[in-house]
Order: sequence, then structure tokens, then C-alpha cells
Amino acid sequence: MIDFQNFTEYFKQLPIILKIIWVLIFLLSISILGLILYLKKLRINLRANEKKFVKFQKIYEEILINYLYAGDEENKISTEQEKLINKIKREIKSKFKRNIIISVMSKLIDDISGEMADSIILFYFETGLINHSLKKLKSNKWNIVASGIKELAQFKVTDVNDEIIKHIKHPNREVRNEAQLYLVGLFHFKGLEFLDNFKTPLSEWDQIQLLETLQNFDNQEIPNISPWLKSENHSVVKFALKLARIYNQFDVIDTLLELLKHENQEIRVQAINVLGYFQDTNSKDFLKNNFVNASEEEQIAFFKLLENSADSNDETFILEHIKSDVFEIKLAAFKILKINNFEKFQEVKLIMEDEQCIEIVKFLENN
Amino acid sequence: MKKIVLAEDNSTLSLLLKFRLEKDGYQVLIAEDGKKAIELIEEHDPHLILSDIMMPYISGLEVISHVRNKLKKQMPIIVFSAAGQEEMVLKAFNLGANDFMGKPFSPNELVIRVKRLLSI
Amino acid sequence: MDSNTVKIILLSIHYLFFIYASSVLISYILLAFISARESIEYMKRNSFVNYSEILSSTVSPSISIIAPAYNESLNIIENVRSLLSSHYVNYDVIIVNDGSKDDSLEKLIEAYDLVEVNYLINKHLSTKPLRKGVFKSTNPAFEKLLVVDKENGGKADALNCGLNISQSEYVACIDVDCLLLEDSLQKMIKPFLEATDEKVIASGGVIRIANSCVIRQGKLIDVNLPSKMIEIAQILEYLRSFLLGRMAWSRLNGLLVISGAFGIFDKKLAITIGGYDTKTVGEDMEIIVRMRRYMEEKKVKYRVAYIPDPLCWTEAPDNYKILISQRNRWTRGTIETLKMHRKIGFNPKYKLLGMLSYPYWFFYERLAPIIEVIGILYFLILVALKNVRWDYAFAFFLASYLFTVLFTIIAIFSEELTYHQYKKSKTGFKLLLVTFLEPFVLHPFILYAAIKGNIDYYFNKKKKWGEMVRKGMSQPSN
Repeated sequence: MIDFQNFTEYFKQLPIILKIIWVLIFLLSISILGLILYLKKLRINLRANEKKFVKFQKIYEEILINYLYAGDEENKISTEQEKLINKIKREIKSKFKRNIIISVMSKLIDDISGEMADSIILFYFETGLINHSLKKLKSNKWNIVASGIKELAQFKVTDVNDEIIKHIKHPNREVRNEAQLYLVGLFHFKGLEFLDNFKTPLSEWDQIQLLETLQNFDNQEIPNISPWLKSENHSVVKFALKLARIYNQFDVIDTLLELLKHENQEIRVQAINVLGYFQDTNSKDFLKNNFVNASEEEQIAFFKLLENSADSNDETFILEHIKSDVFEIKLAAFKILKINNFEKFQEVKLIMEDEQCIEIVKFLENN
Repeated sequence: MKKIVLAEDNSTLSLLLKFRLEKDGYQVLIAEDGKKAIELIEEHDPHLILSDIMMPYISGLEVISHVRNKLKKQMPIIVFSAAGQEEMVLKAFNLGANDFMGKPFSPNELVIRVKRLLSI
Repeated sequence: MDSNTVKIILLSIHYLFFIYASSVLISYILLAFISARESIEYMKRNSFVNYSEILSSTVSPSISIIAPAYNESLNIIENVRSLLSSHYVNYDVIIVNDGSKDDSLEKLIEAYDLVEVNYLINKHLSTKPLRKGVFKSTNPAFEKLLVVDKENGGKADALNCGLNISQSEYVACIDVDCLLLEDSLQKMIKPFLEATDEKVIASGGVIRIANSCVIRQGKLIDVNLPSKMIEIAQILEYLRSFLLGRMAWSRLNGLLVISGAFGIFDKKLAITIGGYDTKTVGEDMEIIVRMRRYMEEKKVKYRVAYIPDPLCWTEAPDNYKILISQRNRWTRGTIETLKMHRKIGFNPKYKLLGMLSYPYWFFYERLAPIIEVIGILYFLILVALKNVRWDYAFAFFLASYLFTVLFTIIAIFSEELTYHQYKKSKTGFKLLLVTFLEPFVLHPFILYAAIKGNIDYYFNKKKKWGEMVRKGMSQPSN
């Protein structure tokens, strides 16, 4: 008691600054102590959860596999399977366990197709997991909504199509992405219809994911991509260009020629690349005439195109650019010359003085 | 009983395949990565190898290369991997793989191919 | 000078110190807060990403991993294996053997069946010439590997050589002894691909300390807490800096430095601005500042991204001598970079870069050690003059100590809530123990190294990259 009184006396007569600092010290100490205790608890919980996770993952893996192999010859549910379904129905009441089961099922459904995949999907329906996914769609939190859409896509739930289309315009980018993947995953090329009126930018990441999802399907009844190539949304145009290339859409070459005049440079370059891949010759004259005004990337892209489709008419043009400042153009010009007119190549190589040209020639001759 | 080494890092998938193949009378040894796969192959000299291409540590391609070139073994090898990897497929065949299945694949079909390769 | 003036001067000095200290405090708190929010956002956004999609895509952008190597013979085979096992499709690995005096090249040739090839290099950037040439493997399983043997020119020169050779869109510049996790490339390239209205010019990652971790043949098997206090203290320091500092700067788009140990850059841009500067020891910071400066001058919207996932693991110094040499070099690098680009400091033309990032780095990173030493000297003078208000001094020191401890504990907390890498029992206890000891066990040496760095910078121009003695990552932990 005496000590405490002394202390308070001492404290009261301190100048203001010291008072503040001591209060601060007191608060800091309490926080540190509190955090240390909480940290200990946190680590214990995390470790316990991890053990639980591994344990239940093994259990559910076994249940799932037993279920998959307990079926009888017809596509009906056997009694053995019924038992397992009921077991899981009880387990999924806990969110923790539900997440584990979904993750185990996801691991399988991503890599498996055919009868077994259908069986897993049936399991998803029968155990009631689908209801939980549907509930997620109604959440306020964007990451829950996105996770719900992803599950519905994985387990091929087509009925909720209308609800998910609404999310194409969701303010959050991840939700939009999951909705797009849902549509494409379940409806293949038909799912791309949202591109018709799509106003938000489609990032490269989104595009890659869509393309990968599309590649999983064997039926290539790709719709007419011309409207997308003419879209006002530049990212849609870029996506359509990728589709043109991957699915060999030769019939859009005319639209591609139009794109050579597009306002966006990246699109112009990409269009040249696709035309080059198609070994198109119609574009050559326009690109030659436009060459001096074009950007360096377009010029390089044009020479790549010429590598695939140059002929004797292009020779004068090629020779003009043997001395270009741009390395890639120089290299391409020499390459084309060597293939198309070997004699001329030999002639030209003798009068070269530029060190870089000599190197290029040497390399081409040895490879 | 014929031995099969299965190299696949998706634990659920390997369990599934092991279950099915064991039902059909094969002995299945599972490896979670390329290194373990090579160890199992060297120790047990299996009749068939099933391998994913993208694996931690040592890739499936290296496993094939090791088996064909260093161990000089000719047992059939089936590889599987994510779809759309034409280059990978070509490389796998060049290195000596016998068959390829793109993911997602049907386990039933895999078993049919295993049986076919093991009955030759 | 009469005593009143002296009193006023002293009082001003006190107030200046006080203002500096408080502003440091407030800035740390602000940065921690922003970092925490940004990390949580990041985790939410990536909790359901399926990275395996992009890894197999032929449309995914091409990346070249460039790893300069100098006398790395002890571990080079393993390190290269680790780099080759990345789960990405469209990439290659360029090892630049920077005039090593050991048998690195021979070992590589043998292990990976390399043969010399005729390779045409577009010399955008001037570098030291090739020595033994360019090598590729005859084994298709190692098709992604390219080894360049050149005359010694230093890390920056080697990286520039890699930039010349690479034919990819992006380059990942890493230290060859860095262990990269399998999905590092996907995660690091994602910001570049997600951006819609601004260009991402570079993305950096968190560096984790691999000391005592179990690594076999280039793969991280087990994460252990290292045994020495100096190593654990560095872990705490990295956690604070990466989880509570850089995440915030990335959010504010004011990040001035990406660790030289692991960063991805837009190759075309890196070449356009002239590549790495070979005349500085802080080339990793300098190139970022130069890239940012270029983008500001071009008035193009851009961003430097940052990924908090533990993707890159490297060895940290385990004794004081090497630590001091490392920090000395970092200090000189910072001074050099800030000096080279002083035009942007407080220059409104450079917006956030000039008005916030540069001043912050200047006052709180570059000047901090000097101010601290002045403070200590001042205190010692007061002690000598028997003029110390011990009650003030004691309270002040105690408060700063407790604040540092609290801040570190918060850093540990963020680590637990996000990546929880140190799972084993007793590691929590050890981390806390070192938290309390760090101000005595690590900080004085870092301070010493920083001062030495300043002295060396101004008076000793002969110092360059010290040699990091390789301990070998393949040794198992205790």
C-alpha cells in the first residue's frame, strides 16, 4: 500500500511529457503481454486445425473412393453408397468439415472425366452440398460469392445459369471472372455470348483462363467471332484475335485486314501476327505502303509475317531493309533473303561492312 | 502379380487409381514426386509406369529419360498431364513414353490401356 | 554565447529528435496498418485461384529466369535443378557464369549434357564479352536450360548479358542460390496479367530465410527455425520489413526497391532504360527507381507490384562479419541510388515517387543511422557533462524499446495469420525470445555496418561486392 501511494505521488508531480510517456509504456506493456498470450493460443489452434484437416482429409478421401467403387452395374445408387451419402450428410453440418470434403472432391473432379466424374457430381447433389454452394451465392461478401460460383462450375450445376449471369457485371473483378469461367465451363463456346455486350475490360489473366477452359472441350463448333473482332471493347477484340489464331478461323481474314487500321497499336500488332500465322498475302501491300508510319513493333511483326509468306515480289522491299537500325528487322530480312534468293544473299553478304550484319550472316550460315 | 509404379502428386487421384488397379489384381506403388518415383522404380522394377508430367522435384519427363536412358529399361510408360500441352506430349514420346492421357481423363479408360499394354 | 542561446539550441535539438522519432513511429504504424489490409485483400483474392490453369497455357507470357553465378560451384547443380522444376510452361533458365574461377561450368556441362551452340545475341546492352560461349542441353528434359559463360563483369553486367540473350517478354532476375517454389512464376506474373488500365512494370517478392531449412536437391522439404540468434533476428527483421512495410508501399505505389534476390521485370522496358547500372552496388534498387522515373517522365500510368507469398528462400548471413559486410553494401547501394536520382527528390513532377517515396527513403532509411549515432553521441556527451535527466532518458528508452518489441510481435502475428511457416512447437517461444533480444543482438551491428557503409562510401572507393561464403544448402538441419 505504501509503495503504491509513493508511486502515485511520484507520478502526479511528473511533468506532462513524462506522464504521457509512462502511460504509453503501461499501454505498450499490456498490449505486448496480451498479444503474447493470444499468439500462443493462435499457434496452438493453428496446429490443432492442421492436424484435424489432415485427419479428416484422409477419412473423406476413403469415403469418397469407397463410394465411387460401391456402385452397382446400373446407374442407380446402391445401398452401400446410400450409407456413405447419409454419413456425409451428417458431417457437412460443420463448415470446417464441409470445406475439407469439397476440397477433396475438387481435387478429383478437376482431373477426372467420364463415369466417375458423373458419380462424384451425383454425390455432390445427393449429400446436399449443392445447397451450401447455392447459399454462398447470396452472400454479401464477394469472396464467398466467388467461391460459390466456382463450386457450382466445378460440379456442373447448370440450373443456376440465370443467377450467375447477373454476376457478370459484379463490381468485384474476381466474381466477374468466376462467373465468366462458369459460363464457359458449362456452356463452352455458347458461354462466351456475354462478350457481345461486355463493357468492362477483360484482363489477360481472365483471357488465359477462358482459353484454357475452352481447350478442355473437344467439340470445336466455334461461333462467328467477327462481331467480337469489331467490338468497341479493345480487350474483347484482343481476346477474339487469340480465338482466331487458336481455332484457325481463316474466314475472318477480311475482318483482320480491317484491324490493321485499328486505333490501338497492340491490336494492330496482334492482327499482323495472326495474319502471319495464317500465311496471309493480302495484307502485304497495305503493310508495305504503311511501313514508314508504323511503330517499331508493327514493323517487326510485319517482317515476321514476311518470313512465312515472302515471295519474289517482296525482294526489293526486303533489300531496302537489310540495313535497318532495328536488329530484329535486319535479322528477318537476311533470313528471308537467304531462303528466297540465295544468290542475292551471297552477293549482298560480300558488301556488308556493318559488324552486326556480319554476325547475323555468320549465324545464319551455321544454322 | 504385376507391379505398377504410379507417380502422381494429387493424393486423392493416386488413391483412386490405386484402389481400382488393385481391384483388377495389380500391385500399385505410389510416389508423390519424381524422385520417389525413380527410387521405387529402381527398387521394385515394375512392369508398368504411370506418371504425371508436372511433378515436384523431378518432372515426369526426367523420369522417362532416366528409365529409358540410364536404367535402359523398356517397360511400358503411360504419362498424363493437363490438356493442351502438345509440346510436352511430343517430348514425352520422343523420350520413350508409350501412351499419353490428357487430364481430365476417365480412370476406366486408363485401366483399359494399362491392361492392353501389360498383355502384350 | 550566453546560456540562454545554448538552452534554446539544446531545446531545438531535443524537439527535432522528438519530432523525428514520433514521425518514425507514426509512419511505422501507418505502414503496418496499410500492409495488414493489403495482405488480407491479397489472400482473399487468391484463395480460390487455380494457378494450374495458367501454368499449362500456351498463351501465357514467356519468362526468362536470369541467374548470375560467380564461383557457385558447390551448389550450382542443385540450384539449377530447382530452377528447372518450376511448374510453368513458357519459360527458360539462363545461367550466366560470370567469369567464375572454379569448375562451375564443367560441373554443369557434365550434369546437364551441355554442348556449345551457335547463338546470335542482340546486343542491346553492352556487356563484357563471352568467354567459353553459350551452351544448351542435348537432353530434351533439360531443354529450358541455357548456360552463358562470359568474362567477369559483376552481377549487374551478368544480368544485362541475360537481358540481351533472353527472347522472352519478361525476365525474372534472381540470385542463383535462391530456392524458388514451383508456382513462383505463376504467382509473380499474375499482377502483370491482371492489370487493365495501368502497366505493371515490375513485381517483387518476399525473401524468406532458408537457414536450417531442410532442402534436398533443390526442393524445400521442411521449414525450421534456425539455431543462431543472429539468424532468427534477421527473420524478424525480414518479416517486419516485408509484411509490414513493403506491402504498404506497394499499395501506395511507392515501392522503391525490389529485392535483387527475386524480381520480375518487363524486359523491353528494362532494356529501353539501359538495363542494370554496373557502377553501383545497389543495382536492384537503382533499376527500379530508374524504371519508375522513366514511366513518370513518359506520363504513363504504371505500378510496381508486390507478392507477399513465401516464394523465394535464400541463405542469410550466419555470422556477424558477413552480416556487416552485407549491410555495408546495402547502405552504400542506397546512398548511391538516392544520389544518382536526387533530381526527383521533392520534385512535384515526379508525383508520389518524388514527393513521398524518395523523401521517406532519404530521411528514414538513409539518414536514420546517422541521426541515431548523433543521438547516441549527444547522449554520451550529456553523460560526460553529468547533465542527463535520467528520468527522461530512462522513460524514453523504455518506451522505444517496448514499441520496437510490440511492432515485431505484430509482424509475427501477421505471419501467423497469413502464411504460418514456422509451425513447429517451441518456435513461437524462440521467436518471442529473440524479439526481446533483437535490439541488443542485431540492431547495434546493423547500425555499425550502416555507419561503416557511409564512411566507406565517402572515403573508401575501393570496396565492391564482398564474397558471400557459401555454406551449402544441401546440408541437413540439426
